[in-house]
Amino acid sequence: MSKESIIKVEGLSKKYLLTKNVSTKSDTLYGNFLNSIKNVKNFAQKKDTEEFLALDNVSFEVQQGDRVGIIGRNGAGKSTLLKIISRITPPTKGRIEINGRLASLLEVGTGFHGDLSGRENIYLNGSILGMTKSEIDKKFEEIIDFAEVEQFLDTPVKRYSSGMYVRLAFAVAAHLEPDILIVDEVLAVGDANFQKKCLGKMQDVSTKEGRTILFVSHNMGAVQNLCNKGLFLQKGKSVMYGGISDVIKNYLELGNTHSSSSFDFKEQPNYKNSKAYFTKVELSDINGNPCSNIPVGDALNILVSFEALSILEHIVIGIGIVSATEQPILTTWSKSEIFKEGQNKIEFKFENIYLTPSVYKIVVGISRGSEVLDFNQNLIYFTISDIIHIPNADRLINTNSGLLLNQLPYKIL
Amino acid sequence: MKVIIEADNNSVFSLRDLIQYNGLLINLAKRDFLVRYKQAFAGVLWALLKPLISVLIFGYISSKITGGANSATSFLNVAIAMLLWQLFANIYNDVSNSIIGNANLFSKVFFPKIIIPLSTILVCLVDFVISLLILVALFVLTGQAVHWQIILAPIFIALTVINGFGIGLYFATINVKFRDVKFIVPVIIQFGMYVTPVIFPTSYYLERLPTALQWVYCLNPMVGAIDGFKYCLLGDASLLNIPYFITSIAVSFLFLWIGIKYFYKFERNFVDFI
Repeated sequence: MSKESIIKVEGLSKKYLLTKNVSTKSDTLYGNFLNSIKNVKNFAQKKDTEEFLALDNVSFEVQQGDRVGIIGRNGAGKSTLLKIISRITPPTKGRIEINGRLASLLEVGTGFHGDLSGRENIYLNGSILGMTKSEIDKKFEEIIDFAEVEQFLDTPVKRYSSGMYVRLAFAVAAHLEPDILIVDEVLAVGDANFQKKCLGKMQDVSTKEGRTILFVSHNMGAVQNLCNKGLFLQKGKSVMYGGISDVIKNYLELGNTHSSSSFDFKEQPNYKNSKAYFTKVELSDINGNPCSNIPVGDALNILVSFEALSILEHIVIGIGIVSATEQPILTTWSKSEIFKEGQNKIEFKFENIYLTPSVYKIVVGISRGSEVLDFNQNLIYFTISDIIHIPNADRLINTNSGLLLNQLPYKIL
Repeated sequence: MKVIIEADNNSVFSLRDLIQYNGLLINLAKRDFLVRYKQAFAGVLWALLKPLISVLIFGYISSKITGGANSATSFLNVAIAMLLWQLFANIYNDVSNSIIGNANLFSKVFFPKIIIPLSTILVCLVDFVISLLILVALFVLTGQAVHWQIILAPIFIALTVINGFGIGLYFATINVKFRDVKFIVPVIIQFGMYVTPVIFPTSYYLERLPTALQWVYCLNPMVGAIDGFKYCLLGDASLLNIPYFITSIAVSFLFLWIGIKYFYKFERNFVDFI
């Protein structure tokens, strides 16, 4: 017998109208004044608007007890989807059927007020999340146990450390008893220990109590751990819905449209703000050919170009490699160097890169002393493929072989 | 529990929602009340001081201008009207700003948004009840007798709440898109006080209007509420001009209806415009 679906989403679309900002912004009070007069004068005129489809015909069904990880790049529509399912914003088209009590946790500590005590905030936050007073009373002890804030119950939360604040906020939400729990990237806050505790709690909630969870995160590790199903969104469209491992694999391979051999930062105006800024990162293989797909164990050359606005001394250039699950793997950096004004290039060479096949990210930074001149951590992806030169290497996903595949020399004694 | 979310089902007022979310209603009101007087030296005393200052100033002005033989009655009249007017003004102002002020809540969690303005009313009512101490003191000081009509007073307090809520809800909805409301509301309140029988009785205004236009004055919904409240506390039926009184009350309910209608027309989309 197939289980009844607890959430049924059919042809869901959400359209936003973006107003093109025609009026020029002014920094002066007088300019502002003139602009506002213009605004009033043009009130009745039709504004230039642009349509933007945040979600485009998304359909899927969730069964009771499923833990669905929703993944995709920024702007793929993940949060919009959660907001519509949570009834925070209405869809433009489509239909959702929800069979059960739903609670959403799109933010930790919604409605927390700094001037109120921990106790008062537990009741306020609980009632905002849809708990009744008697439910909160019943769970009160458990909540303060989980949050570890017993001595500070009657202290205003504005005096809490940020860690305590987040713990308390999550604790309230974690003790909701909905049939469906919707969680959006809330684990990004808090320290590693706390994140582990939260994930554990969510796992308990779902496996022991049979609750359904929809979970959005950029942390593939967390998604992999918690979820059994995945929904991969790209530019508002649902690309894939199925078993979590397959979906993550698909996401890592397809989702990283930025995976290429050359990354030009000139399109990123934000980085043109310091004494030196990166302009380009290029990847090449053992023969010096541009390449974004490196076989395990091969050489990888990373050529970093940057622009210095003047002669710069005591400069250190560093690069790091981060896994798709946001786990930093290694960092390497130059000695303190002097660079000329204008375009500079520096090349880092991996003689043989023994990372397990997957998608990785490169982080680059320029610093002088303790001052960071530029730091870029979001744009550069490359793939380590399993056209293998070492025996028995398997894919990262669902393997226990770890990230580093260095084969050590050994001796039979 | 089954919920169906579709593109075009506008939300409607539902009493069941209110009952289900009554805990939130109370907790929001509690928060606002607790927070309002935190870190203020005089604390809740301000709920008393603010209206007291207005009563003293306008009571004095009124007794000078009307030149009445009995300044005690002037003070009493102004106090009764002023407290009710301030209840209206507070509700109107706070309800107008309540939706945008709590955007951080409903952009993260679903609940019937009508809870927010309703909780605002509770806070204003608590302040009002505290300010009633001024009336008690004035009654004792002037030796004013209490009439049986006082049992009807809650009706006119309710009418005042309806006025503030209805108009406030309308402005709260506009406020979501046009923050100009924040500047307009205080102006309307200030102006409104002078065309409402707060400092002067209704008769004072009617005498100065041509008979054909007197009905216009009674389109002000607070005229009915304040005259009714005065009648309840002073027991003086001559204060009431029945047709005008009824017109004013009818306008109150019309405004309430418009406010609720308008609010629910856009309620679902607030998040996208805020």
